[in-house]
Amino acid sequence: MQPLANVTPLKPPARAGAIEVNNVGQVFKTRSQDVVALEDVSLEIKPGRFVVLVGPSGCGKSTLLMMMAGLRQQTSGTITINGAPIPQPDPDRVGVVFQEASLFPWLTAEDNVEFPLALRGVPKAERRAKAQDALKLVGLDGFGKRHPHELSGGMKQRVSIARGLVQDPPVLLMDEPFAALDEQTRMTMGDELLRIWAATGKTVVFVTHSLTEAVYLADEVIVMSARPGRIVDHLQVQLPRPRTYEMLSGDAFGSLRDRIWRHIRKSA
Amino acid sequence: MPGTIAVNLARIAIIIAVLALWEVLSRTGIVNLRLLPSASDTFATLGDLLQRAAVRKDLMVTATEVLAAFALAVPFGAVIGFLVAENRYFADVAKPLLFFAFSIPKSIFLPMFILVFGVGFAQKVGFGFFSTIFIVIMSTTTAVESVKTEHLTVARSYGATRLQTAFRVYLPSMLPVLLEALRISMIFNLTGVILAEMYASRDGIGHQIATWGENFQMKQLLAGVVMVAAIAMTFNELVRWVETRCSHWRT
Repeated sequence: MQPLANVTPLKPPARAGAIEVNNVGQVFKTRSQDVVALEDVSLEIKPGRFVVLVGPSGCGKSTLLMMMAGLRQQTSGTITINGAPIPQPDPDRVGVVFQEASLFPWLTAEDNVEFPLALRGVPKAERRAKAQDALKLVGLDGFGKRHPHELSGGMKQRVSIARGLVQDPPVLLMDEPFAALDEQTRMTMGDELLRIWAATGKTVVFVTHSLTEAVYLADEVIVMSARPGRIVDHLQVQLPRPRTYEMLSGDAFGSLRDRIWRHIRKSA
Repeated sequence: MPGTIAVNLARIAIIIAVLALWEVLSRTGIVNLRLLPSASDTFATLGDLLQRAAVRKDLMVTATEVLAAFALAVPFGAVIGFLVAENRYFADVAKPLLFFAFSIPKSIFLPMFILVFGVGFAQKVGFGFFSTIFIVIMSTTTAVESVKTEHLTVARSYGATRLQTAFRVYLPSMLPVLLEALRISMIFNLTGVILAEMYASRDGIGHQIATWGENFQMKQLLAGVVMVAAIAMTFNELVRWVETRCSHWRT
């Protein structure tokens, strides 16, 4: 219980969509030894930023994302979203987009998008209206009645994004959402995501293996090292928006990508 | 699907061909008429038998036994299967044992069932239950294991309660496998009950078929075979029809 005397906060209230990670550590206990998955990770993400986490396999970037989603608890340190900790998933604050195959195959696209609303008992008509808006936003107007197996890989991930946005949370967490897509679809989906992000103003935290994707999408790239997972670099990507395909071959793009690659090569 | 009609026609043609071959073999005397009565005679006998109150009573007895055994074995087996799949310790202990038990032919236990339950209703239901429960347990375990971790994580990330996860994720994920299990369980169940009736019984269609066989009443025997086959196929097709209606989930 919050005593009444504490009504005046010491710090100004965090704006919707702010994420703060303070000295977070994660230790997995196995029978023979303790594995340090994350060590002293601190990070501040301002509202509305597009932040990409990259690093070699096993650097704990997905673990960190799952902690921000409240799906996992850190061993030490704190994580706050909108200024409050996240001890369990909170769909009002955070929407999550997973890798491919996270849609329910027995539901249509619109029923999949409505799923988070259905869990909270939102009336059918309101649910449908919100799902239609979300599907329209991701460019899938008119595909609501299809089942996932009738959609392409890119379309499925659009549905996943719509599901993540349907409750209008200030933060969208994305765990390698385009990893299973082919190169062309992946590029298109990147542009689509940037369009959706610009239209909604969400804070996006995006995990990927692809350095090109990281630099192309991000305002900021957080580079992590392999076990123990630490932040080894935090780059500001100053490339203008909208990002274009031509930027990929530019010097600015190349030097950013090289800088990330040098970190990753060192720790891999 | 292209060529559905052609495929169906081919199937019907095969059935007709088998019946025609049967008729010819018997009528021409290639096979002894007393061993193999003709198809037309068999179906005529089937019509007569179905008119008889005694035969209808036997069918009712068998149906009651089959349904009782099924109604007991499916929920019991499903609960055990669920516990085995969900509890790590229980699974480690019980799974190999269940596989051992499943591999034993159930018919060798029939004399024991007669000693314990006599030759009445309880023996048939008991043996039907025993023949069915292992396949139900194993199928339920498979069904639970078919639930994808990704789907459970999605439900959790959107704040699903335990009950919501059960009905909105577990049940629909498991349904295709469960329906298939139901269908196969019924085959085991029917086999168990009919076998128990044939071995030692006073009534039931299995008992009748055994009696006709012993008395060399081949027409009645074959008619009984057709009867049981029709019942089994009807149930099978019924469940398969439900299965195809939700088959698009599986992909």
